[in-house]
Amino acid sequence: MDAVAPARPPIDSRPTLSRRLNDWGLLVGVIGAIVGFVVGWGIGSVAIAYSFGEDNSLGSDPGILLGYSLSVVGFLAGMGFLNYPIGRLLGRPKASEEDNAYLHGEGGGIARYFRMTTDHKVIGLQYLVMILAFLFIGGLGAMFIRAELLTPSPTVATPQSYLTLVGLHSTLMIFMASAAIIGPFGNYFVPIMIGSRNMAFPRLEALTFWLLPPAGLILLSTVFLGGFSTGWTGYAPLSDQNVAGMDSYLMAFALIGLSIGLSGLNMIATIITKRAPGMPLTRMPIFVWGVFVTSFLGLLAAPALIGAVLMETIDRSFQTTFYVPAGGGSPFLWENLFWFFGHPEVYIFIIPAFGVVMEMLPVFTRKPLWGYRVSIGGMVGVGLLSFTVWQHHLFVSGLAPSLRPFYMFSTELISVPTGIIYLIALGSMWRARTRFSTPMLFIGAFFFNFLIGGFTGVFLSDVPSDFTLHASYFVQAHFHYTIMGAEVFALMAAIVYFLPKMTGFTMDTKLLKFQFWAVFLTFNGTFISLISVGILGMTRRTISYAADLQPLNVSASVFAFGLGASMALFLGILIWEAVIKRTRAVENPWESLGVEWQVPTPVPVFNFDKVPTSWSLPYDYDTGKPATDLGSVSPALSGA
Amino acid sequence: MRNRATAVRVLIGTWIVLAIAGDIGLGLAPMPPGLASNLASDESTVIRILAMAAWPIFSGVLAGMFFTLIINKFAPSQSEATATELRGNGRLQSIWIVTTVVLVLILATYGTVELAVEEPGGGITTVSAPLPQPASADQPLEVQVIAQQWWFTFRYPSYGGVETANLVLPVGQKIEFNVTSLDVVHSFNFYALGVKADAVPLNDNQVTVTPTEIGTYRIQCTELCGLWHGNMAENTAMVVSQSDFATWIQQQTALDAPIMKYLPPYSHTYEPEPTVYGS
Repeated sequence: MDAVAPARPPIDSRPTLSRRLNDWGLLVGVIGAIVGFVVGWGIGSVAIAYSFGEDNSLGSDPGILLGYSLSVVGFLAGMGFLNYPIGRLLGRPKASEEDNAYLHGEGGGIARYFRMTTDHKVIGLQYLVMILAFLFIGGLGAMFIRAELLTPSPTVATPQSYLTLVGLHSTLMIFMASAAIIGPFGNYFVPIMIGSRNMAFPRLEALTFWLLPPAGLILLSTVFLGGFSTGWTGYAPLSDQNVAGMDSYLMAFALIGLSIGLSGLNMIATIITKRAPGMPLTRMPIFVWGVFVTSFLGLLAAPALIGAVLMETIDRSFQTTFYVPAGGGSPFLWENLFWFFGHPEVYIFIIPAFGVVMEMLPVFTRKPLWGYRVSIGGMVGVGLLSFTVWQHHLFVSGLAPSLRPFYMFSTELISVPTGIIYLIALGSMWRARTRFSTPMLFIGAFFFNFLIGGFTGVFLSDVPSDFTLHASYFVQAHFHYTIMGAEVFALMAAIVYFLPKMTGFTMDTKLLKFQFWAVFLTFNGTFISLISVGILGMTRRTISYAADLQPLNVSASVFAFGLGASMALFLGILIWEAVIKRTRAVENPWESLGVEWQVPTPVPVFNFDKVPTSWSLPYDYDTGKPATDLGSVSPALSGA
Repeated sequence: MRNRATAVRVLIGTWIVLAIAGDIGLGLAPMPPGLASNLASDESTVIRILAMAAWPIFSGVLAGMFFTLIINKFAPSQSEATATELRGNGRLQSIWIVTTVVLVLILATYGTVELAVEEPGGGITTVSAPLPQPASADQPLEVQVIAQQWWFTFRYPSYGGVETANLVLPVGQKIEFNVTSLDVVHSFNFYALGVKADAVPLNDNQVTVTPTEIGTYRIQCTELCGLWHGNMAENTAMVVSQSDFATWIQQQTALDAPIMKYLPPYSHTYEPEPTVYGS
């Protein structure tokens, strides 16, 4: 059924009521969210007032949390997510081909980007816009933080607003980073790369995306509830002291955890069951492998987060004491659960970046990917080890000191599979006639930045040196080198690289090359300054610091403002070229051999008319043989 | 640079010069956190050794990558690339993996040995009676660090549990910090001594250290602990001579005498204040 497009009647021109509602999905969803919030908040507040006779029941945790929960349910119901499961429960027949095609967005036009659709390509673009919005808002937060840190004592912000700013910046960026590569490019290109017409669970895929906007808005709504002072790590029992703003953090993080876990489940099912005939696991493009490994991490790590957050929620709402020492609980429980999620989480950020960079590298070096099988081993190795290292965040916590050598060893061991990625890069670049197109510049910067990120990590994995550097700006600079310097640079490379396929427009201009050098230099200027203040003992998340550290902080801030400006320039070029000016891209501008560049642009609604059965790795640049034969090779390749 | 062999030689030469010059620099430069205690000098030695080991590898990978990217622009290869150059070289991959594993083993062994020698302690201990006043430099002087929002308090159990706002330590005396908290998770950071220990309610986190340099230092909280976390660095810390310490502790004991009966009896941990829920 997958191989040939089924014949089906055209979509009815007189839509049913449910379709009319679905066409206005976003609006109906917002109405549902508002109704849900009011109902939940009301019930929760009344119940609290009735049970405890509290005066201030309108701001109570159970009321707020119930409001948030029902608003998410209302939003999803309004979007139409419940139609199918409820219909099946009531015994209605399975969706017809026509219904599926409608839901997939056939003939939908621009409106399908604002409603629930099951087309992975629409969802990929929705993800891209959402990721960029998170990146932009989170980046604004970073600018405020650096402005505040120009002076060693509070000036712009109050301590509470500063901590809320830190919490919002970090949490939003974590949301952004956990889907930055896998969201837009994983959803868009994995089905195409494995020769599938769809994801395994298309409705679930839509759900994983539509959990993000509520999560982002709920997190931002913390500013109306007093903010939260715990940063993104949410350590208990500080989180128990916080006002209702903490509930926004907990609810938003639970939704993101749900999204990460479900997305992982869906990707695993898709990659295992939906591969085209003739494509064994050992012939999948390396990016698909990256997504595959990451999906296991997401599926296994996210439940720990959701559980931890749930326990904190009932600690706050119903006075249980999982994390409260006075009641027999332990703050170490939160630290362990959080980092058991938190450390695989950072590899959820970086493994798709490895994948997408290794996918693009052969295109620009015009050589096969050097050591394809070993590179899979590298990513699988990182994935396996990622579950064994979490207590390196707790070396100074006083927890189980005798276990520290083990966590030191397992952490240092991760440098072996990571080192493999560098060997692959060196091998792929060796004797290559590299084309220094803009994505290749970003790829080069990715390897440079991640090398610094990796080597700073060695100092943190070693217990004695971690005693000096733990919780300092050295740590902060270390993870910004890996997340911003590596993952976001890979994201920018991937946007420039894939935009012509996703939209038909190109953003590769002279200005973009200037933007690359600006972002690369200001990024390194910022974080080399912060590595230095960290070595000198400046501790994280403080609004005040020792006066003699001011020069380095001013240097970091000035570079950071440049970094912010150059990131904004990237966004500006993207919007100008792809939305306003709409510069047409040539077909297959990078002369890639990948199957995703051989399907026509825009990609047909169901990707392939006829899925081919003979596949090879898409990196045969020595022979110029494309991944598979779709019948009509694109013009750019016919001369190769 | 038309000749690739020359280019390779230039590259390797540049790398060796860079690696040696960098390592000499790292060998001579002062390393954090300084030499004000045995722990601090151990940590700065570890950081120095890690940096000296990392720099040649770091510069080698960077130089290699830069070289491979640039060389073909200036000295393109005349011959066809071989299959192992195109698709992977099993031997080279094995060598790379084995080398990195060996490096990691050396690193981890070194770190473990350092940890065993240093005994920075830590962990949950059973509550025991405070030690008497130390008779020798080898016998540790217990100092309790009590963190709460947003300051530290220090108790000296060997001197009747006297409580002070400022930390004063005798130079050359082995100190055992017992770090605990009364409310949320804090972290006691005496940067110059190389001490960093989380303060967790109902937990006693121990660190042993011998200060070796007299001076006035900064101490701060390094775990986000709420509103005034950034200002939890107001307590002063001093390392003084043994005789100055004896004078000071006598003064403190005399000062504290009237209030001693109101202080809770000395204990390794204290019952935390009940959590005040925000809303």
